[in-house]
Amino acid sequence: MSVYKNTYRAYTGPVTPLWMRIYVLARYGFAEAWSSKITVALFTLSLLPFAVFLIGIYLANNPLAQMVILKNASRGLNVDAAYFLNMLEIQSWIALAITAWVAPRLIGFDLADNALPILLSHPISRVGYVFGKFMAMFVSLSMVTWVPCLLLFVYQCYSSAQPWAAAHLSIAVGVFIGAVIWIAFLSILGLALSSWVKWRVVATGAIFAAIFVPAGVGAIVSAVLRTQWGFLLNLPVTMSILWQRLLGAPEFMRSVASLPTPAIVTVLVLACLLCVAMLNARIRAREVVRG
Amino acid sequence: MGVIDLDRLEVRLGARTVLDGLTGELQGNAIGLLGPNGAGKSTLINTLLGFHPPSKGTARVFGLDAHRDRARIRGAIGYMPENDSFIGNMTGVHFVRYMAELAGLPPGPALERAHEALFYVGLGEVRYRKVNSYSLGMKQLIKLAQALAHGPKLLILDEPTNGLDPMARQRMIQLVKEIRKEGSVKLLISSHLLRDIDETCDEVLILKNGRIAALCNIEAERRSNRSFMELETVGATEKFSVSIRGLGCECACFPGGRIKLVIPDNIEVRDLYVIASEQGVQIRRMNQRRDSLEDIFLRAMDNEPGRPAHVSL
Repeated sequence: MSVYKNTYRAYTGPVTPLWMRIYVLARYGFAEAWSSKITVALFTLSLLPFAVFLIGIYLANNPLAQMVILKNASRGLNVDAAYFLNMLEIQSWIALAITAWVAPRLIGFDLADNALPILLSHPISRVGYVFGKFMAMFVSLSMVTWVPCLLLFVYQCYSSAQPWAAAHLSIAVGVFIGAVIWIAFLSILGLALSSWVKWRVVATGAIFAAIFVPAGVGAIVSAVLRTQWGFLLNLPVTMSILWQRLLGAPEFMRSVASLPTPAIVTVLVLACLLCVAMLNARIRAREVVRG
Repeated sequence: MGVIDLDRLEVRLGARTVLDGLTGELQGNAIGLLGPNGAGKSTLINTLLGFHPPSKGTARVFGLDAHRDRARIRGAIGYMPENDSFIGNMTGVHFVRYMAELAGLPPGPALERAHEALFYVGLGEVRYRKVNSYSLGMKQLIKLAQALAHGPKLLILDEPTNGLDPMARQRMIQLVKEIRKEGSVKLLISSHLLRDIDETCDEVLILKNGRIAALCNIEAERRSNRSFMELETVGATEKFSVSIRGLGCECACFPGGRIKLVIPDNIEVRDLYVIASEQGVQIRRMNQRRDSLEDIFLRAMDNEPGRPAHVSL
């Protein structure tokens, strides 16, 4: 083939290794996600809390600035586990919003025009396809969760007059693990729900509903049965508890604080398995042209 | 080693046996896949692509097991599905490049080949338009472009002329013929249109109820038909037929002086005129009949259901 000769010629050049195909899917998925202005707007929004917390760290480590700006404050700024927990929680809500917008774009366009038979006729498996999309989602969410949080941590280590990093390394580890658990869950949930809903707007709503409807049901169960186990369905609460424990921050809701960590992890794992089963069922059904 | 080797291939989907004991070696440059709806054509294609594991037997493409080595096979195959299958919000060139990269081309060559493939199929001028703005014919062509871009060894075309107007159909057939002529790509073409297969293929596999109804080399069949002849005569037809039998021809007489005969290689048509002249028989019409693919197909459909048969004419 050539543009000017307009004839067919065979390809004789190099071929990439098989594992690179997942990277191709992730790269194109990432490009698709960030081609939307709304994604860029949400990312910009995620920088606002980052800027605020960055200024907070600057003030906390600068006595002169503290005197000028926080002269009437009853207590000074304290950069500790609770500080990073607040940052992580705010960023996690923005991550949810980004998931609700991006995940339907990653899967919806492929399903809307029945692209799976062509995509999967290439050397890529169903697992590889989902993993590629998952990677695109995971990297996008990383940019608004653990990456800015760890940048703040690094800045705090740099700004602190005393040796701070070694004593508080568990905060960085906790932020990283806590954020990774949350964004991995959001990614798989977003992809699973998007694969089952034809319209992207509805899929966006379904992702929010999947977080908040079980929370409401859990609250009703807890109130009616007078048990704390209903809170296991309340993901915002259970994730907050998990993050507090990972970061070593003081626990704030005594009523649900006794939820055991293994129970929280089990709920998350079960939810992920359900999402994987949903994805498998949907993609398996759409991978071939039925004739 | 053929392009596709089937050895007692059986594929079950749920409780239903869709392909039942297919055995054969397909080695043509362009293989036609024919059969009525539900015969198992799409299932066979999906099995060759590794989507359906055989419940019994094996299917091999270029000597590789269709299920176990599916990643390698898919890398060597270009597949154009029957129905709409694309990513509508991508531009044509972006879509073809994406597919080429998935097939294993590095980004640079993938972009280059995407442009070339789009020009080759005639979509060069619209390659920066989004695919969902294309007409039906253009969508067929972009499916062909993405199947060609990575330079496959086997091109599987499922109903390539589906929904095309006569001009677009002719263009598609012409492209397929050019690809076949180029020689580096083998073709497997599934179609309901016998004329498409007749024009493009040199071998045909006819499926019926999940079994092979016929597997034949169209070119060889055509060659063997060159000696088949139909005559319309006036006069002593019976006596004439006895005489030409004496020359070694096989023949059958029909009312109205019609005679069908198969002429051996050593007999010339002129010999028939000589005998007719000697016996006072007038040959009013002489047809050297070419057996069409339609005849082969209809005969295969008339066969006992499910009996694998190599069509002989």
